[in-house]
Amino acid sequence: MSLRRGVGLAAFDNSQRAAQQYSDLGSSLLSAHISELSDQLKTFQSALTKFAESHANEIRSDPVFRAEFVKMCAAIGVDPLASSAANKKGGSFWAELLGNDVNDFFFELAVRIIELCRRTREENGGLMLVDDVRARINSLSPNRPPVSHEDVVRAVATLAPLGHGFEIVKLANREFIRSVPQEMSKDQAVAIEATQAMGYISVPILRDNLNWETARCITVLDDLVAAGLVWVDEQARPREYWTPSWIKQV
Amino acid sequence: MASTSHPSRVSTPVPAPTTTASTSPTPPTFPFPSIYSFPPFFTRQPNGQTWSSQLSLWNSLILAYCRFHKIWRVDLNTAVEWDLFSNKEINRSLKLDTCREILNDMVKKGDAEWVSGSGSAKEGKNTSAIIFWRRPEEWANLISDWIDATGQKNAILTLYEISEGDSSYTQGTHSPYPVTILHILTSSHAEFHGIDSTILRKALDVLVRRGQAQIMRSADGEEAGVKFFGVQ
Repeated sequence: MSLRRGVGLAAFDNSQRAAQQYSDLGSSLLSAHISELSDQLKTFQSALTKFAESHANEIRSDPVFRAEFVKMCAAIGVDPLASSAANKKGGSFWAELLGNDVNDFFFELAVRIIELCRRTREENGGLMLVDDVRARINSLSPNRPPVSHEDVVRAVATLAPLGHGFEIVKLANREFIRSVPQEMSKDQAVAIEATQAMGYISVPILRDNLNWETARCITVLDDLVAAGLVWVDEQARPREYWTPSWIKQV
Repeated sequence: MASTSHPSRVSTPVPAPTTTASTSPTPPTFPFPSIYSFPPFFTRQPNGQTWSSQLSLWNSLILAYCRFHKIWRVDLNTAVEWDLFSNKEINRSLKLDTCREILNDMVKKGDAEWVSGSGSAKEGKNTSAIIFWRRPEEWANLISDWIDATGQKNAILTLYEISEGDSSYTQGTHSPYPVTILHILTSSHAEFHGIDSTILRKALDVLVRRGQAQIMRSADGEEAGVKFFGVQ
């Protein structure tokens, strides 16, 4: 009859009930799914925490291990230094997970890099080879675990949110830390790149290798001296302009 | 890329890596820092900031060098010839005027002191400076430690005994110390063995001000010796 076929007014109740049941079923499925996922996430988190806990020392002290760890994080799509601003507690997801170890390591290294760059700014005009920075930081604190080239680059990257000031620049296939926020002209950059071949440049070297006019060479060299990026050797004929990044290598 | 290729014409050869280690005879050679092999280090830098960094690098090099060789005074007339100011391997040397500027800066920072009237009267510039590779206060501490360690409180010593290292107090039979630590006492004394009389006098002045010593004078007003009281 009408009841079976569900026509009449009661049918509205029926279809509503059915819809309700479907949606109940759906949400229970969903919540089961969510709880399953969150279980998995918890497992993942606890595994990571366990990993971080048991390897915290290696992460801090072994540059190779640290590099691998950071590489692994990148591979699974998480950034151990992911913006802390996203988290109301003021620490990144990783900071919570790893007990701040990884973050602290890079932030602290960044502070040491800033100090070093500031202290040597008069000597090098605010341009330093990453390898030079690494070597000096390691020799300044011989009792601390050594840092690697990648660590230094990464630590400088953490300074990016602070605005312009510290950045990695690539010249002649070598990475430098630029700690003075001053634009280098194209010519200056090319001239600095040229110093990486022999440690110095001169008017004839620039003129012969880059086909620049003498006046252009002189202007660039004077600008580099004014910026404190090169040192003058007046006892050479013709006068030579040396990069302080060469000091460790002569 | 053109800029990275070596230029064909090079006026000055790139300094070869130092090879002195193999040829150096027994006397220990001062381990020069790497900046010493950096040719522009011997040219006064025109950029003010670079120059001030160069000044402090020279300052610490001179202090380290003098400390290593126990050099108390630097006379520019002869010192410009020293390997300190002249690197033969890269054929670079510092000009006399630049040396004087560097010493001037050291005097300003309290790391040196001009010996007044040391230059020729005609030029009116000093040429000789005392180098404080330890400050007078540090020398005062060393001397007073030595006095304490060797039980010479209330003793009167001549300036000669202090500087020329009469070590009888550490080697004599009346020494209260076992033989094993004697070399420690003498090595601390060795620090100021041969100390420049002007520096010694400054160090003693510090001790006098602290009430730890008193200068004794002979009848004709000459300084004859020092009486030490030690720390109370």
